Amino acid sequence: MTEIRENHGVMAVCDQLLEEVGCDFVALALQNEVGPDVRWHYASGNLNDKYNRITVRFGKGIAGKIISSGSPMMMSDFPNEIYGKVTDHPIMLAEKLVSCYAVPLFFNTSPKGVLLVGKRVSYSFPEQVQEKVKESAKTLEQLLRSHILGGGA
Amino acid sequence: MEQSVSKEQIRSYIIQSQEEEIKRISMELHEGVGQNLFSILTGLQFVEAGLSEHHLKNYLHEMTQLIEKTIQEIRLLSVELHPPSLTTLGLLPAIKSYIKLYTSTFGVLVDLESIGEEKPIQEQKSVAVFRVCQEALTNIAKHADTSNVKMRFVWNEETLKITIVDFGGGFVTGELEETSVTLGIAAMKERMLLTGGHCVISSKIGEGTSVEISLPL
Repeated sequence: MTEIRENHGVMAVCDQLLEEVGCDFVALALQNEVGPDVRWHYASGNLNDKYNRITVRFGKGIAGKIISSGSPMMMSDFPNEIYGKVTDHPIMLAEKLVSCYAVPLFFNTSPKGVLLVGKRVSYSFPEQVQEKVKESAKTLEQLLRSHILGGGA
Repeated sequence: MEQSVSKEQIRSYIIQSQEEEIKRISMELHEGVGQNLFSILTGLQFVEAGLSEHHLKNYLHEMTQLIEKTIQEIRLLSVELHPPSLTTLGLLPAIKSYIKLYTSTFGVLVDLESIGEEKPIQEQKSVAVFRVCQEALTNIAKHADTSNVKMRFVWNEETLKITIVDFGGGFVTGELEETSVTLGIAAMKERMLLTGGHCVISSKIGEGTSVEISLPL
């Protein structure tokens, strides 16, 4: 897969989202072109480069659950009242996030990516922020269609 | 009867029973569920190759991808529960394999160094050391705020010494409240004591934490 960090359109959408919703962190995870692995390909507002080495586990953590269920999810006060173990949420640990909201990116009707916004304080993401994230996800789906589907569709 | 069995022996028995059960579940997942899913995957791939309708082919392709992801997760779960290399290849290869999984899970890089000739270790002891290392690395991912860890194995004639150093924030050892972290640390020490070895943890604010494990061979 061509490096997402070389795709200026994708970077602009993520950076703009970070500013518009006033969050601390935005990250984009995508399924690799070959094989089932989902990795964090781009992040904005990151504290370190750990995200770059993290592979999302299918069904684990917020991103893994989104990929397996295809539904948006929110965490308001990590690590309180979470499903699973603290270690099931590596991106929250790596970036010291306390709250996040994430939505799936669909390609060919299947969830193959995740757009996540996060804050390093406890926070409940309001409706208008959720809508903004969903809009950005739609834009990213358009921009990344050829990457994911190998130039087709 | 009660007098002839020490508390230490009881603790050791409980831990061993748990480890045996974990190993059984891990093998069931890998050899049973995992293998069955793999048979389903190859069957579906065969059907997919014979289909001509585009929409059905696409649908089946999505299904095979879902099964592939599930197989991968089952494998990882199984390895996480009990690495098969611990029994077949020994402690060092099992740690090397765990480190790969650890880095891809938490993004923390581990620099592993082994000095001296690797010696065979009784399975019960190698499982204990593996679990203590696993707990130390998990604590680093949870609390240390670091991207790098240094792990060193030193094999002597009579002892194996392992040092795990993170370069994170560190903590004041005496000031930790009774949480899962302190219980985890106590469990690490207890586990090493039961093997006849010991585990020493030292930490300094701003300089990181060091875990020193020693096992008689």
